[in-house]
Amino acid sequence: MTRTAAHDRLGRLLAIVPWVAARDGPEIAEVCRRFGITQRELLADLDLLFVCGVYPFTPDVLIDVDIADGRVWIRFADYFRRPLRLTPPEGLALIGAGAALLGVPGADPDGALARALDKLATVLGLGAEEAVAVELGPVRPETLERVQQAARDRHRVELDYYSFGRDERSTRIVEPWRVFNTQGQWYLAGYCQQAGGERLFRVDRISRVVVLDEHFSPPEAAPPAAVFHGGPDDEVIILDLERDARWVAEQYPNEGVVEERGGRLRVTLRVSERAWLERVLLRAGTDASMIRGDPAIRSEAAARILGRYLPAPAGSVS
Amino acid sequence: MDRLERLVNLVAALLAANRPLPREELRTRVGGYSDDDEAFRRNFERDKELLRQMGMPLVLEPLDPLQPEAMMGYRIPRDRYELPDPGLATDELAALHLAASAVAVEGAWGKSASTSALWKLASATDGQPPGPSAAPPLATSLELPAGDVVAVLFGAAADMRRVRFRYRDEVREVDPWRLSYRNGQWYLAAFDHLRGDSRTFRLDRVQGEVEPVGESGAFERPDGGAAAPAPAWQLGDEDEVRATLFVDAPQADWAAAQVGEDAVVERRPDGSVVLALQVNNRDGFRSFVLGFLDHAEVLAPAVLRDDLVAYLTPFASESASQ
Repeated sequence: MTRTAAHDRLGRLLAIVPWVAARDGPEIAEVCRRFGITQRELLADLDLLFVCGVYPFTPDVLIDVDIADGRVWIRFADYFRRPLRLTPPEGLALIGAGAALLGVPGADPDGALARALDKLATVLGLGAEEAVAVELGPVRPETLERVQQAARDRHRVELDYYSFGRDERSTRIVEPWRVFNTQGQWYLAGYCQQAGGERLFRVDRISRVVVLDEHFSPPEAAPPAAVFHGGPDDEVIILDLERDARWVAEQYPNEGVVEERGGRLRVTLRVSERAWLERVLLRAGTDASMIRGDPAIRSEAAARILGRYLPAPAGSVS
Repeated sequence: MDRLERLVNLVAALLAANRPLPREELRTRVGGYSDDDEAFRRNFERDKELLRQMGMPLVLEPLDPLQPEAMMGYRIPRDRYELPDPGLATDELAALHLAASAVAVEGAWGKSASTSALWKLASATDGQPPGPSAAPPLATSLELPAGDVVAVLFGAAADMRRVRFRYRDEVREVDPWRLSYRNGQWYLAAFDHLRGDSRTFRLDRVQGEVEPVGESGAFERPDGGAAAPAPAWQLGDEDEVRATLFVDAPQADWAAAQVGEDAVVERRPDGSVVLALQVNNRDGFRSFVLGFLDHAEVLAPAVLRDDLVAYLTPFASESASQ
């Protein structure tokens, strides 16, 4: 649904007119502030209204616009007495944004935003009953708060971090540039001393964070962090996926999918992290077969896991 | 006459009309249309399309309700056009402005949807919106992807209107109850008329467009319940068993965050944890456990331990046979 200039301008006009018409000459500056537009834009819109109205367009049925002493009056526009209802994309934009912000740990569940969303949901017909819920991914609130605070104050942090793709735990010193949520997960982007470059960290995989008494200067413009990446140097893996393993092609970025007979997919992946591939292969089981890549990856991982179960439960020993 | 002027007059005529107006009558009453019949028809269609895109309830009705075969005309019913005052206080309006600036709701309509929504609220309410510099910058940015499918379902859920879409190569007709966003995915909880039961749909698997069908107010939304599905190990109809899972220290925090603190039944001095999960989908449980590779172990019941061992054993001997 692309929008045209006429669409936007008509939408703005139909919002401004009822508000001005319901008041006795508000100041032009106030109208501009309320609707976030410049004086020039407002005057151009009012200029157009002068000649609008209803049939037969005699002076008595034209909209009357008066501008005097920096104030504006609109009369004879009774058919525009209320703004238009919100469209579904508009309702979703506000309710979705609000629900997302309420999902940030530390948000006040009874604060102004929560009250605003209730009122908005009611006029939209959604009722007070929550019809849209947004979850931003599990994190420990104190971890998120600490890295956010460190990013604001520009303090280095020491992290204990579990790398899911490599299946390793490490301790790193990081300059936290920014904290953000995308695709339903919290991330910290920053310069990692150990790696000697910019890295992304999933906040839910940070098990310990210590804010250090060391300042840093963030780069002028932090480069946009790519959450998923496959580099040209990564190993090329080709898998054949039966219908029940199609999720592999749907969930992960890949280099290409070819549909084969019987609903089978042949997917090409670039893989830099072995543990990630182990999980995919173990989960997909017999529904995924490796066309290119080391066939020992799955068998070795399976043997390692089985080692925990044979001969005795390790959990009961430790 | 420029197009915008014509559009303002068209909306005014349709709102002010106390009866449906036929196309030819609108041509005279609005003005600004071409004398050429073909050009008029084309421009009128374009204008109608724009009003519909803007969400105006443009209806086409017979001029005489007793003679539905007779001439048809257009009007915009005010009660379906007008936004009631939501009664937002100044701090509530400010909170919505802040949310709109902090969260990028990404869709085909871009940033403009929240801008025009805020214009309408600024108009509908007495609360004072914040100035351009009032919103404090957040240290955090959030992205919420939402395409046309999500927006159409949002509208249909608000109107309580049935929708039709293709899903897993079948045409479904559902009553959309609730939307939720979890793990980077949108889900819809709905009553599925094909199955005669409630179902959860993952919206990235909807094939093509969602089409509203039938009238508004066609169903009632049941109380309670989130739209996001239960975790994979609970999405089944197998007999429920209580499983205990041991997770090594390095993955313990992350595991606890995934299942929630309530499921943690033991924390050991070395940092490892024992989780208790109610399982009624064994495949889903096994998949969850495999995510920990060799850093987790199913402690009980024996049937789930055996299930995992039986599943992995053929793979362990795979390379030897090749």
